[in-house]
Amino acid sequence: MISRGSSSNEQRTLVESQDSSQPKYVKMVFILGVNFPERNLLKASQPSYARSKSLETFFGIGNNGSSRLLSRFNIHPTCRVGELANKQVLDLTAVLSEMKIENDLRREVLNDIKRLKETGTYRGRRHALGLPVRGQRTRTQIKTPVRLNRMERRL
Amino acid sequence: MASSWCWNCLSRLRQPPQALLPPTPRISTASFHSTALRYAQPAKKKGNSLTVMKHRQSTSLRRKKKKVTATARPPAVGERKAMRKRIVLSNPNALEIEEMQDLSPETMVDSRLRGTVVGLPATMIDQLRAVQAFKPKQGWSLFRRPGTVLRRDTIEMGRLVEKISGEEKGKVVKKIITGMKGSGKTVHLLQAMTMGFLKNWAVITVPDARELVSGDTAYAAIEGTNPTQYVQPGAASALLTRTVAANTELLSSLKISQDHPAFKSLTPKSSLEDLAKLGFHDPAVSWAAFQALWKELTATAPAAGLEKDFQPRPPMLVSVDGLAHWMTDSAYRDVDYKPIHAHDLAFVNHFLSLLKEGDSLKNGGLLLYATSSSNNPNPKDFNVALDQLKARQAGIKPSSPEYPQPAAYTVTDPRVLEMFSKVQSSVELQTLTGLTRDEARGFMEYFARSGLLRESVNDTWVSEKWSLSGGGIIGELEKLGRQVRATAPVSASPAASA
Repeated sequence: MISRGSSSNEQRTLVESQDSSQPKYVKMVFILGVNFPERNLLKASQPSYARSKSLETFFGIGNNGSSRLLSRFNIHPTCRVGELANKQVLDLTAVLSEMKIENDLRREVLNDIKRLKETGTYRGRRHALGLPVRGQRTRTQIKTPVRLNRMERRL
Repeated sequence: MASSWCWNCLSRLRQPPQALLPPTPRISTASFHSTALRYAQPAKKKGNSLTVMKHRQSTSLRRKKKKVTATARPPAVGERKAMRKRIVLSNPNALEIEEMQDLSPETMVDSRLRGTVVGLPATMIDQLRAVQAFKPKQGWSLFRRPGTVLRRDTIEMGRLVEKISGEEKGKVVKKIITGMKGSGKTVHLLQAMTMGFLKNWAVITVPDARELVSGDTAYAAIEGTNPTQYVQPGAASALLTRTVAANTELLSSLKISQDHPAFKSLTPKSSLEDLAKLGFHDPAVSWAAFQALWKELTATAPAAGLEKDFQPRPPMLVSVDGLAHWMTDSAYRDVDYKPIHAHDLAFVNHFLSLLKEGDSLKNGGLLLYATSSSNNPNPKDFNVALDQLKARQAGIKPSSPEYPQPAAYTVTDPRVLEMFSKVQSSVELQTLTGLTRDEARGFMEYFARSGLLRESVNDTWVSEKWSLSGGGIIGELEKLGRQVRATAPVSASPAASA
């Protein structure tokens, strides 16, 4: 987590680029403990830009969540990370740090599933058995539950 | 010597079961084919598929996917967009037309030249480029140099511009230009801009209204406004850049005449160009700089203490292309995640308020707001408002049952209808239609004289093309002119035509 009062020099860091087609050093912007390249879009407005998204890389922030965050700080949908003013970066970080995202959210989801298992519900059993939980057919197409639903649920 | 075995007894022995017998050697016989067996292909070894296959393995063919490796370098950042937006104004292969006249203060009002194509003055091309008067998909690249047809509407506009610059100083004419797709609305604006430059007007343009509402440029709320207004610093900066690039001569000759407390660096000696430059160097103050520039350009008298260098301000031409984009919600959202109406954007509001107010351009001028048919969000209420405007001009009263109303049981946008109910008396709706046959003939002759069209342009031929183009819609006529270019001449050699 970054400190609120950090100056602009601390905000923007230079990180060596691994992509040879790009200039060797890419300016990075620090949002909630993660460095994002300045050229990245803040929000992936179209699926084709998905590789350069920034906010949506956080677990728990999707299309809707990122749109709402942007509108809250009057940031336009096609804004790039580098175009943010320092104040906006700080504001975003402050809000993100108060939201239940990333590990907090993961923990919550896992706890919910654990509770289901412990109370012996049908849904809990299905989670533990690696089978679909919400009444889907199991004759075919259950790859995802097989992959994810374990005793120790993956996320 | 006789055997101790009796053959008779031997014959009585039981024959052993077949399985115990050694296999009887096959009697080798000649095969049906005369080719010797050893010449035959060796038999293929049969693979035991049951042992190779795993449990529930798919039997379908699996091919390895080819890995796509990029051989060429990808285009540099912005290169593809630059290609897409490139505007080519000259084609060195096209013939130069002798005696082609330029658009000038004399030719733009000359009704004898109606139907001919006049060139855009070469000295003004850079200015026109600066205000983005040319669009990438127009056919400028076909001809030696850019030129436009003097049609009836053009000459009428020329006369209007002449009047506003001369005898009817201070007059403001407000027009909304509509018309079918390809009817020449954008080129009509271009002609207006050229005339504005010719008459030394201040020309301020919004070449694409969509850019302001599509959410592609930064926005910020103006504090203390109700309903909240939003500025777009990037768009304002771009507007100032355009305005300065196109009107450098004019703006540098005019000196500051009003007080601008927000810009302390300005002195009474500073020109309007200096003022505008403050804005586009710093987007944070660009909107304030534009407002200050507007205040200067619409000033009729100097403020106290600044009388010395005051020169009367010229008339203004304000043009907007793609007006319909401003008649719906924008792609921006407010703090509560509700869509922001386009009218709440300060930039849009400024240009729309010019339609409303009576004396919006204090020094006179022309407001031309064109719709676009190729890029039209088609807002229902705007269409109704235009129909109402048309009905009013035709003399239908709002109380009449024939007066157009929004469809019942639909959600209407009250802001659009309300705005137009206020402006209806001051705004004129101009609908561009097709060229007349004579004008169409002049236009097609231009193709022929440029070497694109190898047909004899006579009345019958022009009449046919005029009908094919939906009654002289100029965009369609241009397409027809291009098509003819592709046909090979009859005298071409067989090898060339093959």
